[in-house]
Amino acid sequence: MVVLALRAGVLGQLVRVSLLLTMPIAVSVVLVSVFTRAGTTVLFAIGPFDATVEGVDFAAQTLVRLFAISLSIGLFLMTTDPRAFVFDLERRGVSPRVAFVAVATIEAVPALVERAGVIGESQRARGLDTEGSVRARLRGVLPLIGPVIIGALTDVEERSLALESRAFSRPGRRHLLWAMPDRTWERWLRWALIALLVATAAARISGRI
Amino acid sequence: MTHLALEGVGFVYPDGTRALSEVDLTVTPGEVVAIVGQNGSGKSTLVRQLDGLLRPTEGRVLHDGVDIAGIRVAALAAKVGIVFQNPDRQIFAGRVRTEVEFGPRILGRSANEAAEAATAALAAVGLTELADANPYDLGFSRRKLLTLASVLAMGTQVVVLDEPTTGQDARGVARIQRVVEAIATAGRTVIAISHDMRFVAETFTRVVVMGAGRVLLDGSPADVFAESAWPTLASTYLEPPLAARVGARLGLGPTPTEVSLVEALVEARG
Repeated sequence: MVVLALRAGVLGQLVRVSLLLTMPIAVSVVLVSVFTRAGTTVLFAIGPFDATVEGVDFAAQTLVRLFAISLSIGLFLMTTDPRAFVFDLERRGVSPRVAFVAVATIEAVPALVERAGVIGESQRARGLDTEGSVRARLRGVLPLIGPVIIGALTDVEERSLALESRAFSRPGRRHLLWAMPDRTWERWLRWALIALLVATAAARISGRI
Repeated sequence: MTHLALEGVGFVYPDGTRALSEVDLTVTPGEVVAIVGQNGSGKSTLVRQLDGLLRPTEGRVLHDGVDIAGIRVAALAAKVGIVFQNPDRQIFAGRVRTEVEFGPRILGRSANEAAEAATAALAAVGLTELADANPYDLGFSRRKLLTLASVLAMGTQVVVLDEPTTGQDARGVARIQRVVEAIATAGRTVIAISHDMRFVAETFTRVVVMGAGRVLLDGSPADVFAESAWPTLASTYLEPPLAARVGARLGLGPTPTEVSLVEALVEARG
C-alpha cells in the first residue's frame, strides 16, 4: 500500500488524512482497551482501573487494523476518480441505477460540504454565533442543518427529473462512449492482488497466520 | 450610522487563489452602491470582508474607523446584513414569519420587537399575506424576497444584496428598487452586487466596477457608463445598459431618462 501511495504521489497526504480519521476512534479504543482489558501484568493503576500489558497489546493491534482500513479506503478515494470507477462498473454489467446511486452518493459529499459552508456563512451573517458557547452553538443546529437536508433532497429530486428527461430509465443495452484505460500490467497486478487476498484469507482461516 | 472603509485589502483563499488585491474603498452612511464585474472578479469576496465572514489577508477593514479584525461575525452582523444570492442556502423555518423573526431574535430583540420588525419587513417586500405560509411553498422569486425581508428585519445600518434581481420579473425588480430607495431614505447604506446593468443604472448613485480582484472604476452611473469607460467595462465582460448605448448614439449622455430617449428616437425618425 505504501508503494502504491508513493507511486501515486499521495503518501504524505494519505498518512495525514488516515491519522486524522482514526484519531477520535483511536483515543477511545486506547482508553477502553488499556484500562478495561483483563490481564495479569499491571503496568500502573488510575483509581479502580488497572492498565495491563494485555490491554496495551490489544489496543496496539486494534489501532494497526484501524489504520490499515483507513489507509486502504483513503488510498482508494485519493487515487480513483469516482465517475471513472462507477462507469467502469456499469461497463462490466452493474445496473445503471446502482451505478447512479453509487456515483451520486460519492459526489454528494463535496457538494454537501460546499453547501454547508455557504449556509454557515449565510446564518452567521444573520447573527448566528457559531464560535460562542455550547448553548449558542446548539441554537444554531437547526438553521444550519435544515437547509442542508432540504437542499440535498431538492437536489436529488431535480437530478432525478433531469435524468428521466434524458431517458435514464429506458430499458435495453447502453453504449458507453468512454472506456477505462486498462493496461496489461494493471490487469496482472489486479489478479495478483486478488490472489494474495484469497491466500491471506485462507491462511488466516486455517490458523497459519 | 456605519462608515465603512477598506484600506489596501487583499485576500488569498487557502488554495492560493488571489481574489482581492489592494482594494481601497470607502462607503459613507446612506450611500447606495452597486458593485459590478465579471464572475470571479472578487465581488462576493469583497462584501464578505464587510462583516468578517472572510478576513483580509492584507490590509484592514474599518467600521467607523475601528479595525474589525478582532470582532466576531455575530457582533458585526448587527451592523452589516447580507442577503445571499441563493435563498435556499438560508431558509430553514417552516413558516415565513418565523424565518423573518430569526435575525432580530438572534440579535437580542424581544419577541414583540422581532414580530414588529418582521411585520414591517414583510410589508416592504410584499409578503404580508404569506406570513403564515411555508417558505418552501413559495416560488424562487418570493423566497428571494423572503431572505431580503429577513435581513431588513434585523435593522442593520448596512444592507448588502448579492444579485437581488436574479429570478425576479419586472414587478419584483421594481419592488426591490423601492426597498433600496426606502433603506437609503432612512439614511442606511445599501451595497449590491449585480449583473443587471439596467437595475444598476436606474437604482444606484455609485457604481464600483471590479476586475481581477481590483477596483477598475468607481463613480456615478453617468461616469461609469460614459462612452469613454466602455473599454474598461468590456475588459471585465460588462456591457453598459441599453439606454446608455442608445443615449450615447443620440447625444443624450450615458443615463438618459426613458422620456428623453423616446423623444430623441421620434425626432431621429423625422
